[in-house]
Amino acid sequence: MENYIDIIIFATLMIIGYVFGSRNEKKHFKSIIEREEKYKGLLSFSVRFPPPSVERVDTVLVGGNVVISVDYFKRIVAGLRSIVGGRVSAYESLLERARREAILRMKEEASAKGAKMIVNVKLETASITKGQKQQVGSVEVYAYGTALIPVT
Amino acid sequence: MEYENPKIPEGINVTEEHPLKEFFFLALTISLGVVSVVVILSLLAGQLVQYIPFELEQKLATSSFEATSKQLKLKHATDQTIERYLQELADKLAIAQTLPEGMTISVHYVDDDVVNAFATLGGNIILHRGLIEKLDSENALAMLIAHEIAHIKQRAPIISLGRGVTLGLALASISGFGDSGFSQQLVGKLGILTSLSFSRSQEEAADLEALKTLKAYYGHTGGAQALFETFIEDSEGLEPPALLSTHPLSEKRIEQIKSYNGFEVVIVALKPLPVFLAGESVVGEIQ
Repeated sequence: MENYIDIIIFATLMIIGYVFGSRNEKKHFKSIIEREEKYKGLLSFSVRFPPPSVERVDTVLVGGNVVISVDYFKRIVAGLRSIVGGRVSAYESLLERARREAILRMKEEASAKGAKMIVNVKLETASITKGQKQQVGSVEVYAYGTALIPVT
Repeated sequence: MEYENPKIPEGINVTEEHPLKEFFFLALTISLGVVSVVVILSLLAGQLVQYIPFELEQKLATSSFEATSKQLKLKHATDQTIERYLQELADKLAIAQTLPEGMTISVHYVDDDVVNAFATLGGNIILHRGLIEKLDSENALAMLIAHEIAHIKQRAPIISLGRGVTLGLALASISGFGDSGFSQQLVGKLGILTSLSFSRSQEEAADLEALKTLKAYYGHTGGAQALFETFIEDSEGLEPPALLSTHPLSEKRIEQIKSYNGFEVVIVALKPLPVFLAGESVVGEIQ
């Protein structure tokens, strides 16, 4: 009987993880693509200094931070993957979402400040609940850079 | 120099492969791997056991058996009548079963309510009062003892020991790589499930051998099924599915008995148990 309960709990968690996880992912990607289109005029670069063409600007630090949780399904798939090796595609899309979302939030902040460009953009990635077994972990991405606000 | 942010194409970090497909592929690959490792190691354990002489097993048993008997708190009945009777019956059955030379059986009677009996290393058979009490004839008791003797003849205790140690190590080293609880559980549980099938086939073989013994000893195998009817009664119809058990389902085992050549539906000559063993069930109580 115990065995059945284990299997039922596991299957339920997997289904919940898969259904909600993939729905969230789809929704998130859709929103990311929409917002990227909206902020495509706000350029961002990893170079330390603004291009020579830039006129006199004010500079300010802007940043965007996001934490996304792994769903149960992804966690299991990644766990299985860790036995045989290869691309952990379950986590690849998760990190992609986190990076793009973090950059978008940074751009949103910069845009609110009236910036036209962000330079010296850097990304930090951290995993939360690292190393704890049986625990669904989450990933944090922090994007930050120097926003250039034209002085009028 | 013009600075721009070109649009990066989608799907660079996202694989087109459906996540469910990946999951099933991985689960299947790993399961197949685990099952084949378990099967190969189990077969090897069964093959290699013939190189361990029974005397060595007996030596091993003296130390491990002492530990078990302490654990079980083997309560040897003060009155030796029962144990002597059981030992004599076992000896007769052992002759009927033609044990290889040098193989000896020692029966231990435990005076407690546990419904259990088992064979362990070194030809030791442990019978609990709880089980014997539920049997209604010597034939059923003989089926039980012959089954345990068959385990010893087939070297089941030492095979299981070897298998347990090897599989434990192998599974631990496979699952040790995984970082999630699930992959460890998958590997562990699949390993257990696979090894259970070996256990079940051992039991089946022992049942068959026991029936042969009964046929040789009594001339028929009537009454043997009572042993498993007792198990069904005892589990109150709640036996776990065969896939998860060390033993085949009692119903299956009864079927095997009934289809065995020599089973008599009309039981003419069941030998009663001696008076000092007769439990309550013999008095005619119908449950």
